[in-house]
Amino acid sequence: MKEVIVHPERCLGCMQCMLACATAHSKSQTLFSAAGETPLPKPRVHVGVGTFEEGFPNRCRHCNPAPCMMACLPGAIYRDTATNTVLIDPGICINCASCAMACPYGVIRYHEDPAAPLNKVVAVKCDNCIERRQKGMIPACVEVCKTGALTFEEPAAAMKRKTDEVAQSLSSDAEAALKAPGFSLLNRTKKSRTAINTAR
Amino acid sequence: MHYVVIGNGVAGTTAGETLRRLDPQSAITMLGDENFPPYCRPMISMVLEGTVSEKALPIRSADFYDTLRIHPVLGTRVSQLDPESKNLATADGQSFSYDKLLIASGSDPRAIDAENQNLDNIFYMRNYAQVRQMINALPSFKNALVLGGGLVGFKAAYGLLRRGLQVTMLISSGYPLSMQVDETAGQMILEVLKSRGLLVRVGSQVIGFEGGDRVRGAFLADGGHIPCELVVIGKGVFPAHGFVPRDKIKVDAGILVNGCMETSAADVYAAGDVAEFIDIARKRPWVNAIWPEAVAQGEVAGTNMAGRRFVYKGSLSRNVIRIFDTDVMTAGLVHPPSDDMEIQVLTETDRRRRLYRKLVFRKDVLAGFAMVNRIEQGGILTALIRSGLPVEKDKSRLLAPDFNFARLMPGSRACPIH
Ligand SMILES: Cc1cc2nc3c(=O)[nH]c(=O)nc-3n(C[C@H](O)[C@H](O)[C@H](O)COP(=O)(O)OP(=O)(O)OC[C@H]3O[C@@H](n4cnc5c(N)ncnc54)[C@H](O)[C@@H]3O)c2cc1C
Repeated sequence: MKEVIVHPERCLGCMQCMLACATAHSKSQTLFSAAGETPLPKPRVHVGVGTFEEGFPNRCRHCNPAPCMMACLPGAIYRDTATNTVLIDPGICINCASCAMACPYGVIRYHEDPAAPLNKVVAVKCDNCIERRQKGMIPACVEVCKTGALTFEEPAAAMKRKTDEVAQSLSSDAEAALKAPGFSLLNRTKKSRTAINTAR
Repeated sequence: MHYVVIGNGVAGTTAGETLRRLDPQSAITMLGDENFPPYCRPMISMVLEGTVSEKALPIRSADFYDTLRIHPVLGTRVSQLDPESKNLATADGQSFSYDKLLIASGSDPRAIDAENQNLDNIFYMRNYAQVRQMINALPSFKNALVLGGGLVGFKAAYGLLRRGLQVTMLISSGYPLSMQVDETAGQMILEVLKSRGLLVRVGSQVIGFEGGDRVRGAFLADGGHIPCELVVIGKGVFPAHGFVPRDKIKVDAGILVNGCMETSAADVYAAGDVAEFIDIARKRPWVNAIWPEAVAQGEVAGTNMAGRRFVYKGSLSRNVIRIFDTDVMTAGLVHPPSDDMEIQVLTETDRRRRLYRKLVFRKDVLAGFAMVNRIEQGGILTALIRSGLPVEKDKSRLLAPDFNFARLMPGSRACPIH
């Protein structure tokens, strides 16, 4: 089963995924109109800034077993086994934030949402774009990501590619194995800049 | 094999489900005092408040027992247990034998020592039936008195305030939730409640009540008097193990269990509010009477009873509370002993934005925290306490309001494949 896979080393922190996510979870489905909707659609992927000012697209890992699901008081959190997606039923959610205390990644937010009953604040998080996928589309964050920091693929295939890359980088011809020299240069620059700033 | 589970709260329910999943054949009997399908106990305070409908309370469907082929014996309390002959008896004279027993009887409200407690409209708030009675009588109340500022007293006061009653809270420490939060967070909570009309009296005790059939007022030890038509007693809870023979099963505050939820008696397990288990943050046995622990311990107990060894690392106290527009989250050690040289405490207060963060480290390992508002990232901290991983460099980065998961990964990247 295909899943969204995060490749943090390729994230530039452009936050396009956040815009695309908010739009995908709006009523109108277009950025222009979504910006004027009430409630304002909000992203479910959150680009955080790391220690070296690198971006990190933080989204729900759909853990199994899911700590949020075990902590949920009213039993609003469940797993869609067909897509391996942990979902929150906004009708059942009571906005108690027990899931915030349980989520080890900090990816759940609390606000009104176009998909929730009117004027009701609920827990909101990534739903793997389950509605788009029913229409044959891929998750919005992946579709918009221009650097390949987010991909939609079989986890086993992605894992194999990574392992191969690591294996290659250990071989004598290491330079050739640098799949994305631009990114490593950028990240190295960010790191040294942080190092210089903290040394000052 | 005959499994018997005492208590149909969430610990017992989770254990029952786990047993059935792992052992499709054996007989399971569940004994429960409350005549109601499994429901969400913490939500009774929201029903009182009026924000959640009673229909939302059940956490399992009405045919729960049938579907799982669990034999329910409801509406009666276990009154005797003999772990040697593996027999137990209920208050109404039924007796049962077991091969493996789980005690998941939860906790009972702590009683107070005051005269005329049997007057009408003096309530505890532990179960659905009690809240139902309170709601039925609500229209006739104007003034409520809440005894105790612990989790339950606090939630009762909040619920009644939101119902438009004049509420007086009588607490012994200077601020509510003194077991859960530190003074700074406690004062912030108190300010919010007071600004919404809560009256707070500190220090005194109730010694008796007055009224004909119904309560009309309370007398205080300091000579004071508080008029009230409704009283909620929220002076904390204690584990409900009155039927457990202490000479045969080790009991401290709760029933002592190991990582498999086994008690000191063979084939007897305990889980949830009634159990006392090593606390990861405090590093000693502790009763953590909270919902997520009851769920986790119920699952661990069920798994081990079914014959699969599964060791639970330790429990962790934690709580999240939302009142009006203020959120409070705490976990682990929030009141560290001041003479402990290994403890380091970091705090950050922003009164204007009403933000507060307190982190308690033991050596380099996070042992507890308290936060007021912006609580979304709290789970990362809870996970950090659980993991026991040291935070060697720059601990203060965990205090920053824009703290996020990416900040936890100095240099090394998160595993690209989760
Ligand atoms: C008002 C309120 C608000 C709460 N809010 C929160 C919250 O926000 N977050 C949180 O984490 N926790 C909260 N809690 C605590 C939480 O409800 C408990 O930790 C949890 O319900 C414990 O589950 P349990 O299965 O161990 O015990 P219980 O839920 O107490 O279930 C035990 C059951 O066993 C029955 N029983 C007891 N003795 C016997 C006997 N001798 N024979 C037969 N049956 C018996 C009882 O009647 C009960 O039905 C709250 C509690 C209350 C009362």
